[in-house]
Amino acid sequence: MIKKTFGALAACALLAVGLAACGSSNSSSTSTSTSSAAAPKVATTPATGAGAVSGAGSTFAAPVYEQWGSTVGGGLKVNYQAVGSGAGLTAIENKVVDFAGSDPPLKPEDAEAIAKNGSEAVQIPMFLGAITVSYNLPGVKTGLKLDGPTLGAIFTGKIKTWNDPAIAALNPGVSLPSTAITTVHRSDSSGTTSGFTSFLSDVSPEFKSKVGEGKEVPWPNGTGAKGNAGVAGAVKQTDGAVGYVEQAYALTNGFTYASVKNSSGKYIEPTLASTSAAGVGVKIPADLGLKVVNSPNPGAYPIASQTFIVINKDLCKAGGPGGEEAAKGTVKFIEYGLGAGQQVLAQADYARLPPPILAKSKEAVKSLQCNGSPIG
Amino acid sequence: MEAASITGGDRGLLSRSPLARVPDRALRWGLTVLAALILALIVYFFIRLFDESRPAFEAQGVLSFVFEDNWNPSAGHYGALPLVVGTLITSTLALLIGVPVAVAAALYTSELAPRRFRGPLTILVELLAAVPSVVYGLWGIFYLAPKLHPAEVWFSETFSFIPFIGGGTVTIPNCFIAGLVLAIMILPIVSAISREVMSTVPPDHKEAALALGATRWEMIRLAILPYCRSGIVGGAMLGLGRAIGETIAVTILIGGSTQMVQNLFGQSNSLAAVIANEFGEAQGTHRSALFACGLVLFVLTLFVNGVARYFVVRAGRSSGPPRAEDHRAGAATAALVADTAAGA
Amino acid sequence: MSAQGTTSPLGRLAVSPGRRRKDRLARGAVLSATLLALVPLVLIVYYLLKKGLGAWSSDFFTTDPTGSTFFKNSDIGGVKSAILGTIEMVALASVIAVPIGIGVAIWLVEYGRSSWFANVVRFFVDVLTGVPSIVFGLFVFIVLIIGTGTTYAGWKGSVALSLLMLPVVVRSAEVILTLVPNGLRESALALGAPRWRVIGRIVLPTALPGMLTGVLLAVARAAGETAPLLFTAAYTKETTTNLSGFMNSLPVQIYNDVTSPTPRVVERAWGAALALVTLILLLNLIARLVSRRSRLA
Repeated sequence: MIKKTFGALAACALLAVGLAACGSSNSSSTSTSTSSAAAPKVATTPATGAGAVSGAGSTFAAPVYEQWGSTVGGGLKVNYQAVGSGAGLTAIENKVVDFAGSDPPLKPEDAEAIAKNGSEAVQIPMFLGAITVSYNLPGVKTGLKLDGPTLGAIFTGKIKTWNDPAIAALNPGVSLPSTAITTVHRSDSSGTTSGFTSFLSDVSPEFKSKVGEGKEVPWPNGTGAKGNAGVAGAVKQTDGAVGYVEQAYALTNGFTYASVKNSSGKYIEPTLASTSAAGVGVKIPADLGLKVVNSPNPGAYPIASQTFIVINKDLCKAGGPGGEEAAKGTVKFIEYGLGAGQQVLAQADYARLPPPILAKSKEAVKSLQCNGSPIG
Repeated sequence: MEAASITGGDRGLLSRSPLARVPDRALRWGLTVLAALILALIVYFFIRLFDESRPAFEAQGVLSFVFEDNWNPSAGHYGALPLVVGTLITSTLALLIGVPVAVAAALYTSELAPRRFRGPLTILVELLAAVPSVVYGLWGIFYLAPKLHPAEVWFSETFSFIPFIGGGTVTIPNCFIAGLVLAIMILPIVSAISREVMSTVPPDHKEAALALGATRWEMIRLAILPYCRSGIVGGAMLGLGRAIGETIAVTILIGGSTQMVQNLFGQSNSLAAVIANEFGEAQGTHRSALFACGLVLFVLTLFVNGVARYFVVRAGRSSGPPRAEDHRAGAATAALVADTAAGA
Repeated sequence: MSAQGTTSPLGRLAVSPGRRRKDRLARGAVLSATLLALVPLVLIVYYLLKKGLGAWSSDFFTTDPTGSTFFKNSDIGGVKSAILGTIEMVALASVIAVPIGIGVAIWLVEYGRSSWFANVVRFFVDVLTGVPSIVFGLFVFIVLIIGTGTTYAGWKGSVALSLLMLPVVVRSAEVILTLVPNGLRESALALGAPRWRVIGRIVLPTALPGMLTGVLLAVARAAGETAPLLFTAAYTKETTTNLSGFMNSLPVQIYNDVTSPTPRVVERAWGAALALVTLILLLNLIARLVSRRSRLA
């Protein structure tokens, strides 16, 4: 009996070690691309598999890509997973998807990792968004003005009530109640947090030292809620609450938001026009990795953000899961997004790209290739 | 006839040809290999988790990861103590609230309820298992939490002298609500298994107690509960597992604060919630820190199960010849009779 | 010597008021606890009906989601692909997890018993119950997607779900099998029945209704979990039977929809949640009916 037990145990230990050894060497195994194997279907594009375009990444961009996917036409099927920018980049680094959606510009190490697939990484700005400072203050319906340092002080907890002199100074003539301020922030990692904290860190040294910027930060106070919907719900439920909510969400649901002072000293409301304006006058680096927060444009809303589609320059050579047909489909999708897709954005409360950035994006698309010959 | 078909024919009862042993041997070895493979899979799972979390441990140090109170991934700090504490508190709360209610419900449905209600009641309690975890989270945050908020504020203010329970800020997503909803989520598992276990108590045990003059409750206490103890603990372990590992519902309800939980009605965080919250956007060391959280959960469950198993083995029971358990029950009943006889 | 309280035909064995009080108290407590357990159920069902019933329509069940959520009058579609996807993926997960789980449980109770090896297996299976569902999803993501360099697939989601189901099936089956009286086994063995027949014809049928409960709990859990599917089976709008491609599922559809800014889409999420609960309930009822029928036969 004992011998049998030990025998079984030894066998399974060997098995486990063997599996582990196989598993940890996965990085060296190159997967042969399925592109040449799958013959493109003639009549209908299948829902999944060869020919369907797959993408993953930014949750901010997901509704837009879904919408574009349904109106792009031409039998093109687009499947997009809103798993987050980080997971999306991991997916394209491992050739699990045809394109990735990412909000922040590519970091050098990510660009390198993607380039390992045989072709350099290209990031294409697709559209812009804004982060509104939404609040729930009965009696103060519109027009509350806030500036960077004040916002920073609110979110570090230095300013505790709405009738604080600092807020009153910015809003002469508005009667502010003495309600306590409850700040609401995101409990989950998100590009929205990153954009908001990036702005606050730029304009409020105290915020930068106490909290810092990033996709998740150690908020010293306030309530955490999951997702835009969570923050929006929490703000709605609590008198005196203030939180940062994505523009599309705030506009669609009629939230009350503040006008924020931009770098030129003007108080700007987060409209679609002022968000697009944030892209004008911003320095556009050669790899298109731009950031539109705190834009120098006097008509710009300061807390604006951008989102990219990240792909390999030579899509076929890099070998995505959908093969050559999916590569062509991806380019068609991007072209649509930069063309008719931009009109669709306005109807949905998303901000379109301003002409200078749009032109650069279209240029980048033209440089895309399939096994050496241009697709775009 | 049944007996003949079971024994497989007319042969002498005790003789069996070597050929007839083959299916037995095959079954035995087949199942043994299966069990070994499953064990290998679980060990591989563990090893793989460790592999993925190694960068985080290298950056932070193993002990520091578990015991340092500083979770700030943007700054490169991965001290997961607030997460571990949050996980333990919500799971303990879930067990404290959920298991007694579940066992009581199982008792009622199997013993005390009028016969015609038993079926429907059983189905109702198990219906709780049909609700997906994301619905629990959303219902909790949109309906239950706001409704309970005034009561929580009252409780916190009335009992403000008790250090952890009262006197702090009461937020809407908080530790207590997460524990409460978790208790509701584990109810069906613990209740269903307890009920199944209770239904296998031999009727003679129950009838013997009743015949000796025990009241209904005494019969339950003497004949049913001891018999079912290890089965109920088994069910409770499954419930605890669910509570420790529940991701989506807890993520929505616990508030996701990166600081150590200050009070029962304030925000907190849990290991599973932090993985769900941060994995999508995490890269590099942050990602391996999240895998490390999964590993810590694995080890935590190991530890808790080990402790529970120790107690179960001591009072363990499998169907079989009479054991100390039965003698104890018999002795208690005898003592009861003696009590009654003495006019207690 | 005379018993305090009421006299009864049983004389000296009559129940004292103290004991009777305790009995009533205990029974009252048990009843109230049971009712307490039902309160959240009523609240949740009412909430689900209130928020989700409005989304139900024939379109809801027969059309796929369109992804077109921006325009005021656009057709957002229904959740057909999600319903079918959930059924397919959970069915595959059950086919994987249930036989394996019951097999391991049988081994644990019949052969392994309290041997050292069996205790190790038991221990590790118990530990698996505490792993969060998202970690199973990430494990499959790392091993089957990143590791092999292939893309998201429905069957990979099923693998993650089966990992989730396995410990529940094993543990609950083990509890039930342990409670099959040894006397049954022994009498069959004494009559000369081979082991495999004892297991197949005596132990399993006796334990079947109890094991069915455990299996149904596991299936209900698998059907309602989002996290394992987010990183494995991905999301697609079309109905597909191709398990090696992307596949939609109700929990993922709910998860995606409920955070949408468009109220109609949020309502569809609640409708999908109601549909999911109904689906699991129907499955429960059907399985119980079938088992009761076979028990009588």
